[in-house]
Amino acid sequence: MSKEQYPDEILQSLEDYNIDIKDFLPGHGKGAKLLLDFNKISGVEEMKGVVLKGREIENGIVADVIIKEGAVIEEPVHLCFGVKKQSGIQQIFPRIIAEDNSEVTVRAHCSFPNADGLVHKMFGHFYIGNNCKFTYSETHYHGEKSGALVAPVSYMYIGENSIYENNFNLTQGTPGRVKIMLDIYAMKNSVIRSNIKAFGKGKGDSIRIRDSVFLEGENARSVIKMKAAAKDGGEVLMYGITEGNAKYCNGHVECQEIVLGKGSTCRARPFIRAIDSTSTVSHEASLGRFPQKWLDELQAKGLSEEEATDILVEAMLKEE
Amino acid sequence: MLLELKNVTVPTFDREHIIVEDISFGVKEGSIHAIIGPNGSGKSSLAYAIMGLHTYQLSQGKIFFEGKNITELGVTERAQLGITLAWQEPARIDGLSVLKYLSLGMKDKANIKEQAIDALKTVNLDPEKYINRYIDESLSGGERKRIELAATIAMRPKLIILDEPDSGLDMIVIEDFLNIFNKIRKLKMTILLITHREDIGMVADYGTLLWQGKALITDEFAEVMLRFCAKAGLKEFCKRTLFQNEKTCFGEDYIDKIFEEERNS
Repeated sequence: MSKEQYPDEILQSLEDYNIDIKDFLPGHGKGAKLLLDFNKISGVEEMKGVVLKGREIENGIVADVIIKEGAVIEEPVHLCFGVKKQSGIQQIFPRIIAEDNSEVTVRAHCSFPNADGLVHKMFGHFYIGNNCKFTYSETHYHGEKSGALVAPVSYMYIGENSIYENNFNLTQGTPGRVKIMLDIYAMKNSVIRSNIKAFGKGKGDSIRIRDSVFLEGENARSVIKMKAAAKDGGEVLMYGITEGNAKYCNGHVECQEIVLGKGSTCRARPFIRAIDSTSTVSHEASLGRFPQKWLDELQAKGLSEEEATDILVEAMLKEE
Repeated sequence: MLLELKNVTVPTFDREHIIVEDISFGVKEGSIHAIIGPNGSGKSSLAYAIMGLHTYQLSQGKIFFEGKNITELGVTERAQLGITLAWQEPARIDGLSVLKYLSLGMKDKANIKEQAIDALKTVNLDPEKYINRYIDESLSGGERKRIELAATIAMRPKLIILDEPDSGLDMIVIEDFLNIFNKIRKLKMTILLITHREDIGMVADYGTLLWQGKALITDEFAEVMLRFCAKAGLKEFCKRTLFQNEKTCFGEDYIDKIFEEERNS
């Protein structure tokens, strides 16, 4: 596979968002990759310990990403779901499997630079085995037009003693309408960190994210951090859900949403549950503006309140 | 005077109670001026009022900076005039790098990195180790305080208000902080130091004693410290600390006299 086989427009859109793509280009970098041009698989590069298989279906693809048992993959595995068209339907059905004792970072870029009525759906299954370290980072770019309708649903099983980090970023460009649902099931001694960041910038932007962690195994631990801003009529709704369903489990949900400009709405609905006296589940949420003390601290450096808010928004939404 | 407070009264935000009342004193340019007093005497509240925080507005009195009445100015305007505050417990903000944080108040936007390196060196932090870190929870309390101090130094303000720079720090670190104050003094910045520790205060040239929301005395620091000890009934402590310090030359008779005066008052 060569660079020429992948649309320049999509690669350019990643560069436009200050993403260093040189290692992700076809034929470059050591990492494994699966590249999609709308509903066509335009490139697959496997490597030792990483199996990537894809099959085209009507309006989308089915893909398997398998990290073999014991494999420690140093270079990130790159999944690029690019669409250069303005509209259409792209449906992705990935199965992502990390076999026992494996370590990997998977980076997915969903780049739709010209999106204007585009529909992107995903129905993903993640199976992370025992004693794994798995990081999944998904970053979306929906261009500067009306954005896209994006509706991913993922179910994630995290095995015993595994560490799973989930990062979702939708902070640049125009999001459009986004509905995301993640269900993470955490087994014994597993650790879950889930970081969600989103920025709705205008009237047409509606972002609804449900991030759920079910602590099913003894001593499972989780932290969900949801950070969002809504500007000039944008709307953000975050559901942060954690259930402590086993002994000695410990979960926390943190939600911070900032309202900017007129007509914007931020909502948070944390839902937490514990069914055992040895478990702890907590939540904290703050909506509206940044804590006054933070603003005071920056204003005492000579910044106006608006400048201080901009700096804090930029910091809050900085990609993990 | 660089800073002058005239009959300043600061109430609580709901205006139901008075925090500090009828405070008047001045801070000389180039000096270190300490405000000392026990916990709850209103030291930090007074510092926030001088900085102009919205929740610490004066109910009476005036504040002058370089002769200009700044009573009605907000935090930003006061900072732009050259006043800043290093916070007692500065916030930790995910995603905000040390370099960016240090650059926020710099007047000269060229050579930002060099200025940041200089500021970090002034507070005895290794620039290579810290400049690309974030001011988040990965920093200890002491590290965060130093970075706060570096950020205020990088502004090159005329007046730095240091709010309890010693709180939560161990003795070794405090020794280091005293060294840092002297470096700041060499940069020709005036320091208004809020503290309740005599060893920290001893770097000060002048002081004001706050007691139950009132300024009892403004004088050379040793004199103020002596009054503080007399007020608190700490005679042995007073003799031990003030005798041992080279900046003071109080005779035992003088100390006894001040304590006697305090008892009679």
